Amino acid sequence: MTVLGYLANGLVFSSIIVLGSIGLSLVYSIADFANFAHGDTMTIGAYTSLVTFGAVGGLGGAVLGLPYGFFVALLAGIAVAAVVAVGTEKLIYEPLDVDSIGLLITSIGIAFIYRAVIQIRFGSDFTRFDIQPLRPIEALVPYGIRVTLHDVAIVASAVVLVVGLHVLLQYTDLGRKMRAMADNPDLARVSGIRTRRVKLWTWVIGAGLAGAGGVFLGLFNQLSPRMGFNLLLVIFAAVILGGIGSVYGAMAGGFLIGMINQLTPFFSNVVEAIPIWPGWLAGVVRSLISIEYANAIAFVIMVLVLLIRPNGIAGEDAT
Amino acid sequence: MSALDAPRAALAELTRPEGWVLGVSVAFLLFLLAALLTGALGPTYFLFLVGLAGMYALLSFGLNAQWGFTGLINFSVAAFFGIGAYGSALMTASGSPIAGGLDPLVGLVVALVVAFALALLIGIPTLRLRADYLAIASLGLAEVVRLIVLNERWLTNGSAGVRGIPGFFEGWPVLSTFPEAMPGLRLEVVPGSPILLETAFWQASLNVLLVLGFAGATFFVLRRAHRSPWGRVLRTIRSDEDLARALGKNTYSFKMQSFVLGSLIMALAGVFYTHLNLYVGPGDLDPITTFYAWVAVILGGSGSNRGALFGGIVIVTIREGTRFLNDVALPIDPAPLRLLLIGVVIVAVMRYRPQGILPPQRDLIWPSAVDGGGAPETPDSGVRERKGGGGDE
Repeated sequence: MTVLGYLANGLVFSSIIVLGSIGLSLVYSIADFANFAHGDTMTIGAYTSLVTFGAVGGLGGAVLGLPYGFFVALLAGIAVAAVVAVGTEKLIYEPLDVDSIGLLITSIGIAFIYRAVIQIRFGSDFTRFDIQPLRPIEALVPYGIRVTLHDVAIVASAVVLVVGLHVLLQYTDLGRKMRAMADNPDLARVSGIRTRRVKLWTWVIGAGLAGAGGVFLGLFNQLSPRMGFNLLLVIFAAVILGGIGSVYGAMAGGFLIGMINQLTPFFSNVVEAIPIWPGWLAGVVRSLISIEYANAIAFVIMVLVLLIRPNGIAGEDAT
Repeated sequence: MSALDAPRAALAELTRPEGWVLGVSVAFLLFLLAALLTGALGPTYFLFLVGLAGMYALLSFGLNAQWGFTGLINFSVAAFFGIGAYGSALMTASGSPIAGGLDPLVGLVVALVVAFALALLIGIPTLRLRADYLAIASLGLAEVVRLIVLNERWLTNGSAGVRGIPGFFEGWPVLSTFPEAMPGLRLEVVPGSPILLETAFWQASLNVLLVLGFAGATFFVLRRAHRSPWGRVLRTIRSDEDLARALGKNTYSFKMQSFVLGSLIMALAGVFYTHLNLYVGPGDLDPITTFYAWVAVILGGSGSNRGALFGGIVIVTIREGTRFLNDVALPIDPAPLRLLLIGVVIVAVMRYRPQGILPPQRDLIWPSAVDGGGAPETPDSGVRERKGGGGDE
């Protein structure tokens, strides 16, 4: 594969990570805890759309290689992820009388419950959407880019969702309130913002985007009960890289981490091609920068960011 | 003062949750005893369970030294457990891709040294971080360790794991041949269902002896440490780190000491597991091991060593009980059921009893300071009154 090919893959994967990291960042800044159940919220979205798609089927025509029924399933995935998250907030998180660390630990329990329920219903094996796999787009293959129409659909949908969120945050009343709350919850409350309602909307938006991310992850790879949890740390890496509490930072961080993740094999070739190193050193570095360690590289970047610039690339003074 | 001197008074002093825990534990013990005597539960398997419970208690002792004492949110328990297990296995096993065949004591030392190095490696960057960043970073670094164990086949055998691990007492003068030397026994308590005590049983008793030794030594070291001036500094850091710093304590150094101490104990649990299970694989470094230890600690009550013991027993009940349930009734795969139970326990504890079931009460006070054990004029409204409230710490 060429550089362009890796970049194209990176773009697709980044879209998924961005969708996941926005929600994590929103909840982190407004509900004020690291939500470990966020990855499993993505899994819920993915499996809901799997079931919905199985029920509604293709529904006639298709856009970008995806039947209409898939978009219905996508909406169902978003909706159910949001409903489950709001239900959890109302039933579990809100009545809790613990600090943010307690909430963090509780969210681990919630993550296990989500995953266990999915695993009991669907087993632990991998499944896929019942959609014909497509061949890579012919026109791009000469450039070394092997992406399918489905990948294009993932990127396009992610762009639509992200732009929609941007409009919501910048031009609507709710968006202004959310930004005010993320900035300073106490000040927001005394200014007359109904913080509880804003918090609920935050959960709806964050979990909805996570649900969409999960659906696309299922389309990009496969579905398994562990799919979201396995991605959780990568998403944390993205959010921390971007700066906790900053939605736009989360987008940038998600984009970067997704790219780095998919470009790992390319970096490994570059390392080997650099002539100045002694051969054995290049060999060691090459074996560490391999596809098996793609996630590990993201985690190491995360720790380095925490050490050097704890507020991330876009964070101002997130405490 | 102690339960042996005045059993009735000791009983009356228990708080309600303590009473419940005691009651349930006694009922559970009687149930197990009945199962043992009727032959429903094999004595060898029973001893294996005891060993496993001891191992989880050891893990939660380790986590307690970090989270309970100092408030460090360490989500890399599985990594230290795995390093302990792999360190010992790679040194002693016949199937080891590197050295192999060495004495288990060498394995123990190597495991502890490697765990010490790893604790510094993880601790130096992460212990300066805010609490929730520490949680995420340590989970990430633990995953890095797991990926290395999974992928560096020349060192760890990769996904195949390490086999051919000897028992811990292999090569010791008497203990290495003890299980074979002991005669097989046949007990018949309930007519018609004899209980056989054979080599495997004696082997299992050795394992229990070993974990009791490990856990007992750890328990006393930790209790002593927690009550010492050093432990008091840790508790201050836990409740208010800025205060500790204002008092002139180098909090980073104290946190590091607490982190290293806890990590070594987790590695010790790993070493024991290696010689109990006789096989280690990369699955042992799965994050779920970390969360088992967390459940044990928050369930028992952070900072409480009795709680850690209780938590360890509950974890084994969940882990092995679901397996057992599966045989009997439910046509469900036990793995998700276990996950569900763990999740429900976490949420329920945080909802109804965030301080844990057996929070530390008298653990933190020298016994001589309570109940007139030599202390001058113990005030009447001391520990005894406050313990009913059961606030945290």
